[in-house]
Amino acid sequence: MNGLSVHFEGVSKIYPHFTLDNLSLELPTGTIMGLIGANGAGKSTTIRILMGLVHQDQGQVHVLGREMPREQAAAKLNIGYVSEDMRLYGSATLAWHMKFIRSIYPQWEQPYAETLLRRFDLKPQQKIKGLSHGQRVKAALLLALARRPRLLVLDEPTTGLDPVARQEVLAELMAVLADEDRTILFSSHNTLDVEQISDQITFIDRGRIIASDNKEMFLDRWRRLRLALLPDAVLPRLSGVVEVGGSGRLPVLVTDRFDPAMVSACNDAGATVQAVDPMTLEEIFVANVHSRREKQTV
Amino acid sequence: MNYTMVKRLVLKDWYLQRWAILASLAGIVATLGIIATGGKVSFLIGLILLIMVIISIGAQMAVATIVTERKEQTLPFVMSLPISYREYTTCKIWGNLLIFLVPWVTMVVGSCGLLLLSPSRGMLPYAVIMSTEILLSTCLILAVALITESQGWTVAAIMAGNLAVNGIGYVVAHIAGIAKGMWGSTIQWSGAASTLLLGEFTTIALLLGVTSFVQSRKKDFL
Repeated sequence: MNGLSVHFEGVSKIYPHFTLDNLSLELPTGTIMGLIGANGAGKSTTIRILMGLVHQDQGQVHVLGREMPREQAAAKLNIGYVSEDMRLYGSATLAWHMKFIRSIYPQWEQPYAETLLRRFDLKPQQKIKGLSHGQRVKAALLLALARRPRLLVLDEPTTGLDPVARQEVLAELMAVLADEDRTILFSSHNTLDVEQISDQITFIDRGRIIASDNKEMFLDRWRRLRLALLPDAVLPRLSGVVEVGGSGRLPVLVTDRFDPAMVSACNDAGATVQAVDPMTLEEIFVANVHSRREKQTV
Repeated sequence: MNYTMVKRLVLKDWYLQRWAILASLAGIVATLGIIATGGKVSFLIGLILLIMVIISIGAQMAVATIVTERKEQTLPFVMSLPISYREYTTCKIWGNLLIFLVPWVTMVVGSCGLLLLSPSRGMLPYAVIMSTEILLSTCLILAVALITESQGWTVAAIMAGNLAVNGIGYVVAHIAGIAKGMWGSTIQWSGAASTLLLGEFTTIALLLGVTSFVQSRKKDFL
């Protein structure tokens, strides 16, 4: 287990209308992993299993070297958790919440908490019910960060925020994380958010992990090739093509294993490569999901 | 079992419910004051208000600390803390019971004190049995709230508990061993009274035991 903060092995959870299927996942210590999936893909179930809040039906889960859910209390002593569906006590002030968390976590750093208060522009004496949604998310982040967790788990923290508040939260989060060496699992259906923060990306769809790799590897290997076919030419069969789109004479290929040799192979087959476009993480995610779903259908 | 964490969570509920606890205490003292003024009408009004206040605070605590915690999504915050679900259940049972015991003990001590000072001392066994029945009803509400985590079922348990207090009150008052000395000026503690009291405490212990058992077998907490 050395070097791994999170280790899922063959984890399954069966609900009447959803199954998390044989999920295996490794999160090395010190990495920031973005877990991307559509709504209902299984991100929150995965994170709840990680936190010990939902018990897996099969498989092994170890978090910070602790077996989950059996040792969840000990593991959670070193985890900071913020989720989209988490609320603080409306009738209490942020100062009360800070005092409450400080009484539980011996590693709580008050000077750091005060720095975060200023950075997030939060007033400790204000009651939670008087805060905007964006401020509440920032308050929850402050409570999670100031306890100095070894593992930070963020389950769609930016969901429901307006664009300005979302950008503020992300900017502050990135500023906070810039000088940190923490292991973070960040889940979202918003690929842009994940792309900004993560260095490791995992795609999840319909309860299965469909791809997991370094962010740069994803961005380097995925390309969209825009071709123009000569009248008698046939679309060449290339390995690594996951999607063929466009029209008959102007096909568009999407590949997850781009190699410059593909361009010459196309040219040799009478297909002029008009453009090789890099893809955004969102495009990669969507192409990945479509390709996997098509394979499943076949 | 991490008792330090359980204690912290119990104290958290005490802090968040402090105004409700204080209001119930003030209500109990005020209704005992009405009963103490003497007279049949003030006794009846005071008694009805006393029962209303004590049942309300028990129901309010279960709803506010368990059902509302889930409904208002503060449960993920609590469960993100270093506790297991067993510790969460323990904290909710003890936290609610301890909160309820503050006004309940005030009510029992106050009403027994008033009865001892009045010529209706014979009513004391009945008062003790009915006070324990209210404690039992509160435990039922607590058990249903924890096991079902549902507002609808908790409201149903509150109604059932309320009806049970009235129904059991009527039945107990007509048990020969209780009714015999009820309207006298001396306390007659009968075997029937002891059996009823023992039955009530056994049911409370069973309810809380079953609640802990069911909770320990749950697999999904959010």
